[in-house]
Amino acid sequence: MRSLIVKIGLLLVMPFPAWAHTIVVATGTNVTTIKQAVALAKNGDTIRVEKGTYISLNTIVDKELTILGQNQPVLDARFQEEVLTITASHVKLDGFIIKNSKTGSMRDFAGIRLSNVEFVTISNNTLVNNFFGIYLSNCKHIQVLHNRITGSDNIENSGNGIHLWKCKEILLNGNYVTRHRDGIYFEFAKKCLIENNFSEKNIRYGLHFMFSDDDTYRHNTFKNNGSGVSVMYTRRIAMLDNTFIENWGSSIYGVLLKEITDARIEGNHFIRNTTGIYMENSDRITVTHNDFISNGWAMRVLASCNKDHFTQNNYKGNSFDVTTNGTLKEIYFNDNYWDKYEGYDLNKDGTGDIPYRPISLYAQIIEQNPQSVMLMRSFIVNLIDKVERAIPSITPESVKDEKPRMKPWKK
Amino acid sequence: MKTLNIFILVLCCLIAACSHAPDPIRYGQDACTHCKMTIMDKRFAAELITAKGKVFKFDAAECMAGFLKENPAIAEDVKSVFLVNDFSRPGQFADARKSFFLRDSSLSSPMGGNLAAFLSLPAAEAAKRDKSAEVYDWSLLLSKNK
Repeated sequence: MRSLIVKIGLLLVMPFPAWAHTIVVATGTNVTTIKQAVALAKNGDTIRVEKGTYISLNTIVDKELTILGQNQPVLDARFQEEVLTITASHVKLDGFIIKNSKTGSMRDFAGIRLSNVEFVTISNNTLVNNFFGIYLSNCKHIQVLHNRITGSDNIENSGNGIHLWKCKEILLNGNYVTRHRDGIYFEFAKKCLIENNFSEKNIRYGLHFMFSDDDTYRHNTFKNNGSGVSVMYTRRIAMLDNTFIENWGSSIYGVLLKEITDARIEGNHFIRNTTGIYMENSDRITVTHNDFISNGWAMRVLASCNKDHFTQNNYKGNSFDVTTNGTLKEIYFNDNYWDKYEGYDLNKDGTGDIPYRPISLYAQIIEQNPQSVMLMRSFIVNLIDKVERAIPSITPESVKDEKPRMKPWKK
Repeated sequence: MKTLNIFILVLCCLIAACSHAPDPIRYGQDACTHCKMTIMDKRFAAELITAKGKVFKFDAAECMAGFLKENPAIAEDVKSVFLVNDFSRPGQFADARKSFFLRDSSLSSPMGGNLAAFLSLPAAEAAKRDKSAEVYDWSLLLSKNK
């Protein structure tokens, strides 16, 4: 009697997977493809794929399955189709090498496609030579973790590494993306978190937001992309503790901001970029605790920007600290460290006694006449900048830091 | 005589340099005049040549329309040349004034305009996927953007 109660108790306590099966896919057995395994499986089952190379021409996963690759099995679409499409929720896909999706101009072929699903995890996969890497359309609560995504570096036949369209609450963590069009692309993707990713040598942007609100990206590195990160037509983006390094060339920026509002840019490092931050039509942006080191232009703030605050940043070794194309209104600089500041601090309170004007006269001249860049670092340029600093008359009166720091901010 | 020949040759070169020939878009390098994005997609890129021969490049027809909204003088000038890529033959420029523009939500053009250009009306109609898809001509497209 007692043992019966224990058995019934156990049955109640046992979770659902107690009845779940594991289906093994391996060459030379009864089940040689994931497609067969999916057909055999029921919701909640696990498919284990042994090491080997499997042809996968758009295998559709339409059941709630855990699909695990043992020792990195290869799924190859041989440039004929997509590799894998997930149309069921609660799927976990882990440990595969996914390669050679079809390319082409009429459709966005992907390595892994997720369509209208929730609670899916894609982890520890290696994607090689796909048109689009991981493509999420109309998804919610998805985790994309620790994948390595390498594109073809072909300008015409490169899609985005991780592509989100109409998504909500997605987590991207620890992914590496290279040689795609945009490393990570967000269109209508809201409330997402992007952290600890590394995006380098992508053809266009490391990370690209279009019409995507309330996203946060932090602790990512964007190196040597066509242009680090582009944030366009979005609201309330937080950009925290990222590194933008060596995004170099004409019309290439660390961060390109276009028509965005209420963004926070904090604790980032901008190192050796042609332009650290480029801002156009961007309102109510707060830029604090960032380091701008050895950039051509630390910041280019166009006259169409309003109500932006720049405080407690370090500007070191930049050819130009700030430039603009017209009259800046309601742009506030405060409490920043500028290595070009030549003022004094007689009362020893740590801030300079005379304001610093970040827009140099020579920067203004270059704005009107780009060719004059050839005079850079010449005696005459240094002279006119010095004269202008001593007796300001042409540089905009409104753009100044009233309390420039004497020593850099430390973190 | 020889100097005259050289002179004529140079003159011809100069005249050739002033022509209104389209400037090929360097995909992956040139940036869109309107949105600053690098132009990548051959299916959607557009180009505009003003009466004076100045060339502006765009990543999408919606960007060219947006730019023309801000520069109505160029839009109204009959000497301006507007070029778009024929969606069915990417990489081939077509005259925008003679093209038909399909707005269909299944087209993901770079700037969210969901617009593709076609040289022929049947081709545009055939490419329709969405029920609410519409086809415009050039002047209607410009007026929609106003």
